[in-house]
Amino acid sequence: MQDCDLHRLELCRRRAMLGAAMALAPWLIFPARAQNQANDPTSVPPQPGDRLIFLAGPKKGKPIRSDELELGGPQAQAYPADPNGTVRDGTRLNLVIAVRVGSDGLNEETRERSADGVVAYSGVCTHQACPVSMWSKDKKAMVCSCHGSTYDPKDGAEVIFGPAPQPLAALPLKSENGLLIVAGGFVGRVGRQSN
Amino acid sequence: MRKLLTGTSLGMLMIAGAVGAANGADYTPVTDARLANPEPQNWLMTRGNYQGWSYSPLDQINTSNVKNLVPVWSVSTGVDSGHEAPPIVNNGVMFVSTPYSQVLAMDAATGEFLWRYKRKLPDGFSALHNTSRGVGLYGDKVFFPTLDATLVALDAKTGKVAWEAKVADWKDGYYMTMAPLIVKGKVLVGVAGGEFGVRGFVEAFDAETGKSAWKTYTIPAPGEPGSETWEKPDTWKTGGASTWMTGNYDPATNTVYWGTGNGSPWFGDQRPGDNLYTSSTVALDGDTGKIKGHFQYHQNESWDWDAMNAPMLVDIQKNGATTPGLLTPQRNGYLYWLARNSDGSISYVNSEAYVPQNVFKSIDPKTGRPDVDLAHKPGTGKAAQFCPGLWGGKDWPYEAYNPKMNMVFIPSNENHCNNLEGKVEERIPGQWWTGVAIPDFHFSVDTKAGFYGELQAYYVDNGKRAWRDLYANSMNWGSVLATGGDLLFAGGTNDRMFRAYDAKTGEELWHFRSNSGIIAPPSTFEVNGVQYVAVASGYGVDPAFQQSLMADLVGWNADVPQGGVVWVFAVQK
Repeated sequence: MQDCDLHRLELCRRRAMLGAAMALAPWLIFPARAQNQANDPTSVPPQPGDRLIFLAGPKKGKPIRSDELELGGPQAQAYPADPNGTVRDGTRLNLVIAVRVGSDGLNEETRERSADGVVAYSGVCTHQACPVSMWSKDKKAMVCSCHGSTYDPKDGAEVIFGPAPQPLAALPLKSENGLLIVAGGFVGRVGRQSN
Repeated sequence: MRKLLTGTSLGMLMIAGAVGAANGADYTPVTDARLANPEPQNWLMTRGNYQGWSYSPLDQINTSNVKNLVPVWSVSTGVDSGHEAPPIVNNGVMFVSTPYSQVLAMDAATGEFLWRYKRKLPDGFSALHNTSRGVGLYGDKVFFPTLDATLVALDAKTGKVAWEAKVADWKDGYYMTMAPLIVKGKVLVGVAGGEFGVRGFVEAFDAETGKSAWKTYTIPAPGEPGSETWEKPDTWKTGGASTWMTGNYDPATNTVYWGTGNGSPWFGDQRPGDNLYTSSTVALDGDTGKIKGHFQYHQNESWDWDAMNAPMLVDIQKNGATTPGLLTPQRNGYLYWLARNSDGSISYVNSEAYVPQNVFKSIDPKTGRPDVDLAHKPGTGKAAQFCPGLWGGKDWPYEAYNPKMNMVFIPSNENHCNNLEGKVEERIPGQWWTGVAIPDFHFSVDTKAGFYGELQAYYVDNGKRAWRDLYANSMNWGSVLATGGDLLFAGGTNDRMFRAYDAKTGEELWHFRSNSGIIAPPSTFEVNGVQYVAVASGYGVDPAFQQSLMADLVGWNADVPQGGVVWVFAVQK
């Protein structure tokens, strides 16, 4: 259910229309919340054409160019922003991480979603929804800041350590002269997942 | 969601009301007098009494019959992660809070389910420690601090929300996990968030209205007493001293004793000075919250050794005379004897290491201030190893005090260390900001030691150890319950066991393998003349993370099954 409210809006809207007829179904609560947030451009999930905006660091607030990310990690945290500059930071479920892993060793799906050797994922851990803000030099992998769940960026963010039950949702990218652009919506579920 | 749940729970209430002893109509209001002198048959607050003893005088279950203890009912909480709340019981009604900010109410004798409160947490919300350590009771209400830093008052009979009060902004890293302390019609709460660079405080809310009565920060602002211990400008604003465990209370002097967390970020050289009141016990006026006294266990904190547990109020020996005191086994590995003075000030009396610790070279016998070995003090760009590691000689689990025996029972861990090196990091509100990332913790253990977790018993008068039970294949995260039946009850190990010990000898008299690892404090109570022992079993949070590290280091099974169940035991007749 968790990805429904924010990241599958069309599905959610359709479910909401059924609300009157199925008022006792508990999952209909979630579409109602999604509809409220759908009106807020800062809370809709990343859209094709969005840029990724540095959350911190010397270029905080600026769109990420692929060559500004360190080759081999660590990841940068970012929020998507539409081409007019509206940053979609109204919900932490939109937190994105981008890591420049290069082009070697990526599995096929991951390579297809990458641009200029950069891959992007939801920055929200699938265990308890904490930010995946840390980096393991040993494992060359992204690490959750709460309980250490570790995700392999070259393998679709598969879990290689810790309690997370699912990989991170992937965010397809393209590059326009080095500027990272969102190429499609999240692939996979965003936020805390059940086992 | 809440509306739907309320409808469901109302239906359940009607059913339960027909058969259970806990019919809402006869709920017994909780008063100041009852909190000051709780009846033996009840467990009205998280540690059983204002003194924080985790002790019940009940003795129907005792060393001779505990072997016949059997489960009489259980209930699934329906959630995973670390269950850390004791069953709170008031005249036949039990309240248990769970991870994800839920509260369940049951008939304490029959297990009939009465109601559930389920907090709707905000989108994108996360908490480093997704747990709850209990509810508070006063009047006909149940007070519940939620993970998203809101204090909720519930009708004890129905679970309906009476009022809500926002305590802090979760987006800035504040969250709440402790049980409230009720003092004279006010609900006192503290905040977690030390890993996110919050500024700790204790706040009191009117139990009837939810209005804030007072708020005392545990880091002084410039110009306030103690502010000179923050030598670098602005470090006090994000300096930690969180208040994430429940305080204790002395009604005779109207003094609240509350523990504080370490400094933020973790490395003291980034915030020069002693940093009051980090890693301290603060003494607060029960009416106004004014700081009347304090004791800081170690200065310029750099080891993640919070002093979050409030000390127990016990009489101690000082210069050959009995005096009102404070007794506390601290995360830094030392057991402290302190004097609580009538004006609220706190004096150092004595301390002894209860686990080997390599940081303090000595402790000043007059002030209690440790002389720190700088070789074991990590800093920014300076790696240093220290033992015990950041989880300390004991983390938050409660020790217990038996006044008949004048003994203290400490759930502890040793033979583990960390090696940390700090970095200067930009603070992103609501995100980890300690100066070191989890992959760089360099947690290590002495694999030749033969044990890690242990339960220790000490005589309060002379500080000598009476006995200890060593756990070769587990850490110990189990709060201890002491009883008038000369028993100790504790879980805490990764084998899912719930154990009863002879408190005098340390002999294990009974055990029961539960559904999951037990990291919640047990409680005991009596209904219709029958004594029960209750505990929630549900592994998670730090013990689970530490277990996964031990899986890598020594081959333990990283998978300790999760999922919460409340167990209630009685002697089989």
